[in-house]
Amino acid sequence: MAEKGHDQVPDVLIVGAGASGAVAAKRLAEEGFDVVVLEQGDWPDYKKARAPYPDYELTSGRDWAWDPNARGAPADYPVDDTESDITALMWNGVGGGTVVFAAHWQRNMPSDFRVRSLDGIADDWPFSYEDLEPYYVRAERDWGVSGLAGDTAFPGGDGPPMPPVPLGAMGRRVAMAHNDLGWHWWPGPNAIATRKYGRLNPCTQRAACLWGCSEGAKASVDGTYWPVAVERGVTLVTGARVKQLQLGPNGLVTGALYVDRDGNEHEQRAAVTIVACNGIGTPRLLLLSAGNAHPDGLGNSSGLVGKRLMMHPFGTVVGLFDEELASWQGPWGQHIHSLEFYETDPSRGFVRGAKWGLQPTGGPLSMTHSYPWGEENAIWGPGFHQQLKKRLGRSAMWGIIAEDLPEESNRVVLDPEKKDDSGIPAARIQYRMSDNSRRLMAFHQERAKESLEAAGAYETVIAPFIRATGWHLLGTAMMGSDPSRSVVDGWGKVHDVPNLYIFDGSTWPTSAGMNPTATIAAVALRGVDHLIEERRHARAAS
Amino acid sequence: MSPALASFHHGRREVLAAVADLLIPSGDGMPSASEAGAAGRWLDEVLQLRPDFGPPLAAVLDRLLGADPSAALIKLRTDDPAGFGVLAEVVAGGYFLNPKVRSAIRYPGQQSVAIAHDEPPDYEQDGLIASVIARGPIYRRTP
Repeated sequence: MAEKGHDQVPDVLIVGAGASGAVAAKRLAEEGFDVVVLEQGDWPDYKKARAPYPDYELTSGRDWAWDPNARGAPADYPVDDTESDITALMWNGVGGGTVVFAAHWQRNMPSDFRVRSLDGIADDWPFSYEDLEPYYVRAERDWGVSGLAGDTAFPGGDGPPMPPVPLGAMGRRVAMAHNDLGWHWWPGPNAIATRKYGRLNPCTQRAACLWGCSEGAKASVDGTYWPVAVERGVTLVTGARVKQLQLGPNGLVTGALYVDRDGNEHEQRAAVTIVACNGIGTPRLLLLSAGNAHPDGLGNSSGLVGKRLMMHPFGTVVGLFDEELASWQGPWGQHIHSLEFYETDPSRGFVRGAKWGLQPTGGPLSMTHSYPWGEENAIWGPGFHQQLKKRLGRSAMWGIIAEDLPEESNRVVLDPEKKDDSGIPAARIQYRMSDNSRRLMAFHQERAKESLEAAGAYETVIAPFIRATGWHLLGTAMMGSDPSRSVVDGWGKVHDVPNLYIFDGSTWPTSAGMNPTATIAAVALRGVDHLIEERRHARAAS
Repeated sequence: MSPALASFHHGRREVLAAVADLLIPSGDGMPSASEAGAAGRWLDEVLQLRPDFGPPLAAVLDRLLGADPSAALIKLRTDDPAGFGVLAEVVAGGYFLNPKVRSAIRYPGQQSVAIAHDEPPDYEQDGLIASVIARGPIYRRTP
């Protein structure tokens, strides 16, 4: 392989081609930086996106599975979750998690950046909502986000560039109910095009966002950012599994060692390295990069690398309605969201809150599954056809994203036994849901049930807790201003290694109760803009 | 015929048909699973689409061979939830591949439905969004 590392050292090496890596690569390329990206997976194969075909529900669970352990693709590494209440979900390939995310585009609220100041727990972020707001606006234009400005759950300002997805029959019902209850709702913000927008096609409402968008309407970065970045000269190397970051005698990172698909080892040098491997992959790589100068892992003088893992306990409440709602269709995605119970209210017996997103329930095969319907409501047997008729097209569900608080005992460590197929130690996660999370979820499930009942549901189902909901991997390389209590500073620069940056959700001091992609993108954009300015000054001075 | 399909011989299909009809019996004007071909043509289709289901399904059916289907199904569900899951997915998956079934349940598949840009948009109709705005901000400001 012709690596730039042998003859010329690129300005920047990025490890990981997911959301934050994409934001960084495109901006750096726009500013004329020479960028190499190492991605362990490949480009997604949208021939396997089968929403228009009868086999869609049968095949989507295999070709677009979220659990790397179940998927077992060549790009995946094992994540031992036997000591975790929640299974970590991810997509290892170009696009990262955005390939299979539901595209809910949620900004964090101002209080999310001031948890310590407002609620007396956990930590504040090193910047405020107001600091990040301009980057949200830019990210929404770059990504292609639909929604509506003026949401009463956020300060005023510019909104997304496209109009929101329709409320649809179910959204309209629930919106009216919330108006009667005096509860918040707002048209759902989604990284889904509602009109032709750049490379994005308009959404055709096949409700397949979670299993590879067959229409090119979802703003997954493999279809938006990466083609642009590559056109602008970024070198994107797929099938490149990084095993270690290398440290020079001056304490700076000199690049990375990686293994290609044939098992050959390569060195990729760079002046600056950005790690963007998600809340599991990033601490795994830092821990793998331990050496004499950093015996506990690179950037780990605080001892916090891998700790404070947050994964958002997830709940679902389904309502059954008399009305035909065609609830297998629509964006998936969210029709509306509600932040009525997002802010802390001490009288509830827990701190922090959750965001709700109103979603479709799927096609006929989904109606037979134990999630969200519950084993106690199993469809099988003499009542099958009646139950199917009740559920299919006549149901709606709230998805509840609960904020979990950072605890050092929830963490990512290197697996002492398991290795990936390149012989690199796997990740092991240890995560227990706190009492606060359990109380929070129970409260929100009951309120969501009331919401659907007010909307006319004649029956509701609170979905059983299942482990396979860890879509959001956060907190394992915390940002902060104090190097003894954080891994990176407020710009994503590793305190211990000044030419090493982390731009993914690992850096979050607290998890918020929101789908994280909007904030991951905005924080990455803010960080890379700062990096660009710093490097310009460094160049000017040299 | 692929070796995987050939392994689903008459005996296994008979067992499958019996338990499939316990999962999805006929009624309400709808055919049972076996009547709809879930142990025949649509089983073939499912296994071609999901060859990964073949080995676990074969193992489940071999365990049920010769047993009372009803009792065996109850036991399977308790003792081997994963095996039961594969069996149920194959049966229901095949059932819903049948175009006659899809038509009878009025499921046209995941259709392409263009987003209409109504005037006014649906969130504005009947004062829906105006009611939210009138209730005012619900967030805590940055201290």
